[in-house]
Amino acid sequence: MDALNIGGTVGEQLRAQGVSRRGFMKFCATTASLMALSPALVPRIAEALAGAKRPSVIWLPFQECTGCTESLTRSHAPTLESLIFGAISLDYHETLQAAAGHDAEAARNRAMEANWGEYFLAVDGSIPLGNKGYSTIGGVSNVDLLKRVAQGAKAIVAIGTCASFGGLPKASPNPTGAVAVRDLIKDKPIINVSGCPPLPMAITGVLAQVLTFGQLPELDHLGRPKAFYGQTIHDRCYRRPFYERGQFAESFDDEGAKQGWCLYKLGCKGPVTYNACPTMKWNLGASFPIESGHGCIGCSEPDFWDWQGVYRPLSTTRWGGYQTLGAAAAVGVAAGAVAALAARRKQRPVGEDEA
Amino acid sequence: MSILEFARGPAFQVALVVFAFGVCWRLAGIFLMYRRFDRSQPRQHALIAGGVRAIVMRSLPPHELEKKIVFQHVSGYAWHLAYFASLLFFAPHIPFFKQFLGFGWPTLSNTVALLSGAVALAILLALLWRRASHAVLRQISTLDDYLSIVLSILPLLTGFMTYARILPLGLRYENMLGLHLLSICALLVWFPFGKLMHLFLAFPARFQAGVLLKRKGVEA
Amino acid sequence: MSATTAHLDSLRSAAAALGGRVGLSRNTDAERLDKARAVMLGELDGSHAAYLETCLHCGMCAEACHFYLGTNEAKYTPIWKVEPLKKVYQRELGPMRWLRRMLTRDITLAELEAWQPLVYDSCTECGRCDLMCPMGIQISPMIGIMRRALAAADLLPAELAGAVDEQKQQGSVLGAGRDQLLALARDSAAAGVPVPLDLPAADVVLLTSALDVKAFPDSLRATARILNKLKLHWTLLSHSIDLLGSGESLRELHVRRIVEEIVRRGAKTLLLPECGHAYPALRFDSAHMIGEPLPFVVYSIAEFVGQEIQDGRLKVNREPGGGSVTYHDPCKIGRHGGVFEEPRAAIRALGLELKEMESHGRTNYCCGGGGGQFLIARAAQLRQRAFEIKMREVDDTGAAKVLTACNSCRFNYQAGAAEANWHKPIESLVEHVAANLAD
Repeated sequence: MDALNIGGTVGEQLRAQGVSRRGFMKFCATTASLMALSPALVPRIAEALAGAKRPSVIWLPFQECTGCTESLTRSHAPTLESLIFGAISLDYHETLQAAAGHDAEAARNRAMEANWGEYFLAVDGSIPLGNKGYSTIGGVSNVDLLKRVAQGAKAIVAIGTCASFGGLPKASPNPTGAVAVRDLIKDKPIINVSGCPPLPMAITGVLAQVLTFGQLPELDHLGRPKAFYGQTIHDRCYRRPFYERGQFAESFDDEGAKQGWCLYKLGCKGPVTYNACPTMKWNLGASFPIESGHGCIGCSEPDFWDWQGVYRPLSTTRWGGYQTLGAAAAVGVAAGAVAALAARRKQRPVGEDEA
Repeated sequence: MSILEFARGPAFQVALVVFAFGVCWRLAGIFLMYRRFDRSQPRQHALIAGGVRAIVMRSLPPHELEKKIVFQHVSGYAWHLAYFASLLFFAPHIPFFKQFLGFGWPTLSNTVALLSGAVALAILLALLWRRASHAVLRQISTLDDYLSIVLSILPLLTGFMTYARILPLGLRYENMLGLHLLSICALLVWFPFGKLMHLFLAFPARFQAGVLLKRKGVEA
Repeated sequence: MSATTAHLDSLRSAAAALGGRVGLSRNTDAERLDKARAVMLGELDGSHAAYLETCLHCGMCAEACHFYLGTNEAKYTPIWKVEPLKKVYQRELGPMRWLRRMLTRDITLAELEAWQPLVYDSCTECGRCDLMCPMGIQISPMIGIMRRALAAADLLPAELAGAVDEQKQQGSVLGAGRDQLLALARDSAAAGVPVPLDLPAADVVLLTSALDVKAFPDSLRATARILNKLKLHWTLLSHSIDLLGSGESLRELHVRRIVEEIVRRGAKTLLLPECGHAYPALRFDSAHMIGEPLPFVVYSIAEFVGQEIQDGRLKVNREPGGGSVTYHDPCKIGRHGGVFEEPRAAIRALGLELKEMESHGRTNYCCGGGGGQFLIARAAQLRQRAFEIKMREVDDTGAAKVLTACNSCRFNYQAGAAEANWHKPIESLVEHVAANLAD
């Protein structure tokens, strides 16, 4: 990690790592295409990145499972993802850094002072408000640390659904009082890169855009970059033709499942989940959940854990069960019977002898 | 909570409870009411058979009556059939019914189900317009009539808009889907209180007519 | 024809002279409204509840009603005619009445006054709407409740109120009383057709109606001829001439009296003349009035005659010259009584070619004058609009004449034909049979 913290421009860093000009241009072209930017902009991206000062990034982990880090950093060979890590100065990351204890904190504080107002804050994990002691780093509660570090940040990237929306800890009954970054920080731009975990390329694209244009990417209504979260899984799912034709797997391992039919009836939340999984896929483009035969669980959406069940199709609802409805019906019959019987008093025939 | 989760969750639960309670209240209140017992000698017997026959035959009036009501009669049945075809046989709806019944059934292709829904919607809108413009209907229509037709149209309309991604005012797909479910909640809540109850009442009412007429020796 | 019209006018003015009661009620408005409501609540039961709760406001009933079809006026929509009844039901008896009371207004006397012409002028309780309704709603019995409720609120139209008063105070209807009936019986006997009057014991009892006595004197003689031919031990009751009913239905008092008289004589069969109203009242409604099934069988005379012909006990000759006829099914014995086949058997036995109207049998169009409607002067034009439908249907058959089994119908046809200058003869089926009895 320290080797990365040597200053210099992005271009210098990459050359030092042995990335050829051709490889670098390929990276810029791929990034442009991922961000749906015109190919004409590729030279501009290249020029910007080559000459860009490596930005400082401070990564704070809160109530997280480290899955986001695992997703972003797991690699056995140089990948595009690791290239971007070469382009940034990751000045604090508890899992990846060599330092620990007071040294690590000192390094973080130095980076903050040196880059005050310019560094990027990356957060994963939710922040507990129920009791500050639920999650601390070096004796400092998450909420205090977040507020302090956020003060000097240029922008905050909330990585993963926990940081973006509260995630798993926030699921009912939310015992720790978990909240998202955006619930606490109101005065800094926040980019939510949600997912449980998020797609590695989402991070890459966001950082590349920031470095190239010095501005945040276009965000959707939940603060997520539209380039990756602008369409639903359903929109790009390769099994869509089966949905349209009404061919569904009815259970796991049935004939339909083996044929690779639509997983709507097995609870796939693809239609209401915004992410780029069908196009970018996971594990270097190997597959994504639906392709592996399991429906989307909606992991990039707020409160998806409370969505009434991973295997309950989207068109099902909470209905109370037979007992509740039976009780309602029984009370209804009783009310109707009372009404009918009370009416009998009035239903007396009138004598015919009125003049 | 998002609109979709509210609609799928507490809203639907409450709507179903109100529906179950209201329908039973109204039906019990009507059929437990005192009834005069007819002591006259019936002209024909097998009155129950007459009642059952009327349930079917009221849908098939004799020619001299039918010819006066052809448009309304045919369009009425057409939209009901088309509506229920898309409600019951559109693929995403099957899991919904399966959760109550425990079983599903084969589906129509999306194209056919949507076409069916489109036909129902077109006819419903035409009949709504007719209700507001025809002299007899204007005379006898109440708030219930207009509300019932609007609440019947909304699930169809919102369903279409959801499926076809017709999303006005920047509405997102999941919110449109939520509105679709909320429109069904509204329909369920209104159901016991208005004329939609004819779903349950038509059969006993026709049966009554059949018995009464058979007792007089007249075909229902 | 003109004699009949003059006759009708005199009937109407006789009734109006005795009536004119509208607006001169002894009761306060609130009392009148309460009386109407009391009648409604006393008569509404669970079957009406099911009907009133099921109405879809589809308006198809209008397309069955001759008054609507003749005028295209939306207010004549059958279910609209029972709107006040529906309101009272919803507010007082319906399962959701507590909600209704919060959200709707009660009926007013003014409303009932506005409904008077709807249920008396523009409804004959013909029941054709009962057949049309897709929900099976039987509207005509509910019109009956409305009429009785309005009568209790002193809202009978003047002519009908006059007829009721005459019946109560003078024992006659439209100027026809027992004396006139006795005269008819004497004339018939003198012409060789004895009419056994008020025998203390008999197998068969015949009643007659004021209209027969007043307007169709041949009816009684024809009936007597047939009953004599059948060698039945029969008698005519001279006191029970008030079969036109009052206010709407035969009063329970009269029904009880008739039943008593028949039982006292040990008769097992009651024959009703070619009259409309009396048939459903005595055949079906009477059991409810007296609280038990009738101890005798009730026939309409046309029904009886047709049955006797079908069973071979009564033989008729084919009419010389034959000819084509169409048969008008009177609402009260057809749609409300189930009598369709027997009159047609008689027509066939007479060798007449039967050409059915498009709406015949149970869907037959009402003649337009039933339920006392023909008495109401202000409704004349309305009646004529309805009758035009009938004329068209008859003309379309190409039949030479119209046969029917109800003298009210016959009366209305004649009046309507006179008004329209329509020359199609309308004749009594029973009179045709009586004129062609085989030896």
